[in-house]
Amino acid sequence: MAKASRRFRRAARRRALRGLPRGRVLKALTSSTLALPGLASHADELGSLGIEADYKYARYSEDRIPSSKVTPGGERDRYTIDVNQVHLSGPITERFKLDLDVGYEVMSGATPWYVVPNPSGGQPLQVMTGATIDEKRTDGSLKGTMLFDRGSAALSGGVSVENDYLAFTGGLDGERYFNEKNTTLSGGLGFSIDRIEPTDAEAFGRNSEEDKQTVSGFLGLSQVLGRETIVQATLQYQFDNGFLSDPYKRALVEGVPVPDARPDMRHQISLLTRFRHHFETLRATLHADYRFYVDDWGINAHTFEVAWYQTLWESLRLIPSFRYYTQSAADFYAPYYEGPRGDNHYSSDYRLSPYGAISWRIKAETRFQIWSLDWIANVGYEQYMSGGNYAIRGVSVENPGLVGFDMLSAGLTLRF
Amino acid sequence: MTKLHPTHSRRARGVEVLALLCALALASTAFALSTGDRAPAVKGPRLDGKGELSLEAQRGKVVYLDFWASWCKPCAVSLPALDAFRKEFGEKDFAVLAVNVDQDPAKARTFLSLRPVGYPSLNDPKGLLPVQFGVETMPTSFLIDRHGVIRQVHRGFRKEDIPELRAAIQELIRNGR
Amino acid sequence: MTRLLAFAALCAVAAASSGCTAVRPWERDALARRDMAWDPDPLEAALHSHIYFSKEASLAGSGAGGGGCGCN
Repeated sequence: MAKASRRFRRAARRRALRGLPRGRVLKALTSSTLALPGLASHADELGSLGIEADYKYARYSEDRIPSSKVTPGGERDRYTIDVNQVHLSGPITERFKLDLDVGYEVMSGATPWYVVPNPSGGQPLQVMTGATIDEKRTDGSLKGTMLFDRGSAALSGGVSVENDYLAFTGGLDGERYFNEKNTTLSGGLGFSIDRIEPTDAEAFGRNSEEDKQTVSGFLGLSQVLGRETIVQATLQYQFDNGFLSDPYKRALVEGVPVPDARPDMRHQISLLTRFRHHFETLRATLHADYRFYVDDWGINAHTFEVAWYQTLWESLRLIPSFRYYTQSAADFYAPYYEGPRGDNHYSSDYRLSPYGAISWRIKAETRFQIWSLDWIANVGYEQYMSGGNYAIRGVSVENPGLVGFDMLSAGLTLRF
Repeated sequence: MTKLHPTHSRRARGVEVLALLCALALASTAFALSTGDRAPAVKGPRLDGKGELSLEAQRGKVVYLDFWASWCKPCAVSLPALDAFRKEFGEKDFAVLAVNVDQDPAKARTFLSLRPVGYPSLNDPKGLLPVQFGVETMPTSFLIDRHGVIRQVHRGFRKEDIPELRAAIQELIRNGR
Repeated sequence: MTRLLAFAALCAVAAASSGCTAVRPWERDALARRDMAWDPDPLEAALHSHIYFSKEASLAGSGAGGGGCGCN
């Protein structure tokens, strides 16, 4: 057993040094869902006139996995990612505007590979892959929006590239205003075609390339409730088909690591409700969001997020925020398996395990004018913690791979 | 004696009240003045506090009545454009009557201090004038001829609108005697 | 909390379906504020969405439009 795991670790390290990307993670981290409708809605009414340029840099660092949770001698440094985002938007004609988004990330670190029982009988242990060095991902998307008096319609497309991953996305969405723009109905459809070509395909005896297709749609309604209050409810549906497993992960079945094997179809639904209220006397605005999620893999999740936008001295804004997340496990998930499953689905990925997460954030923003242009500069910090004990329902065995991270980000916006 | 209806929860009562208010609100429909209508009287204090402005005082001139606010992005383009019209057509034949509808007039004054224009604005924080004129979007302007009749209603503002507006003003100045 | 949100959603539906015009076009001062936008910082929203989407089971997606200054 120890020999087998050593061999796997060596193989992983070899792949790592050859630059085997934790492609799935990176792809998921800054996913090509950027171009799916309803996402990255620069539907900021304020920017509909002039040109805007934004840049943001973020450094995301995962906490080291505690030694009590990892197999002896295992890699403990997890992911560090440097993210760069650029956004440009401007009017092409009086009724047509264009939005361009480009992202570039560099990442390195080790990821969870599979979970083994603890020889001393305690909580299960995580086997980590070897550390990877400097994988890169580039993505870009373009969106064209036609503006009408009573609504708008947009077409978008994007591409995402990594050494083992390629994805194309496209979407169509629109908005219609009613009741003197007090009510807005919006909807959209999107698709994504992904291809993964995992390096070292022969190591897990599969095709050298795997495909996945996604179609999604959303329907949203927003309503102005008063001079300082708006609410919104959005229903979203997504269907995934194809290779949905993680080719870089294993699950231990009767002591033998087998490839991560998830169903080849997935239906997901989410309902997002958002609330915004401005307190004129306090010079502050409250944001409160709640999202309910359910899918046919057995997972249901709740997300609560609140943020307080406090304006100080005209040009400074301080924004503390808090987020709570809880999810249940996928039907076929287990840290490891004592016997085979009838449906042959196996996954020990912490992302399908039951857990909760808490994160708090603080952001500061200032606006100023230079050369008669409007600038906004911001800096933010976030800390995220996850664990079985944060979940809304008790979790008896938490996945040892659950991760925490902190992130520092800084951005600059220019409007002219 | 048994109750015929179960006691309503506070929530259900709240929804009932809301539905009733909405039904009442339905009675107030949005109406808008249009071409051919006589412009109603416009009178109010100046934003800078230096007296009063009125439509009556501009009788005999072509008047561009403009509803604007500091939070209205297209107004950053329209205000300088109107100032250019004012300089081009002269005080004798043309006047800009700007009505500011900021709930907080201080924000309007700050806006003007950064983008000064040569014409004053009327201060209407309660939004009484937009109701009378039936303003449907921001900004909205009414081109009024020398006899006080509305000749054009302009909704929204884009740079591309400027030549067409200039032509309309010129025509009204020429033919309005 | 869920009750409050359910009520808010109910208000939204009731107001929308009965044509309740709560706010006139010239009364959108507060609604036009950047901090009243659904996502005042779209790049941050996109970044967070992707990060959470990568470690959690939920869907990415930040919802629909509406609100704002309503200008033309």
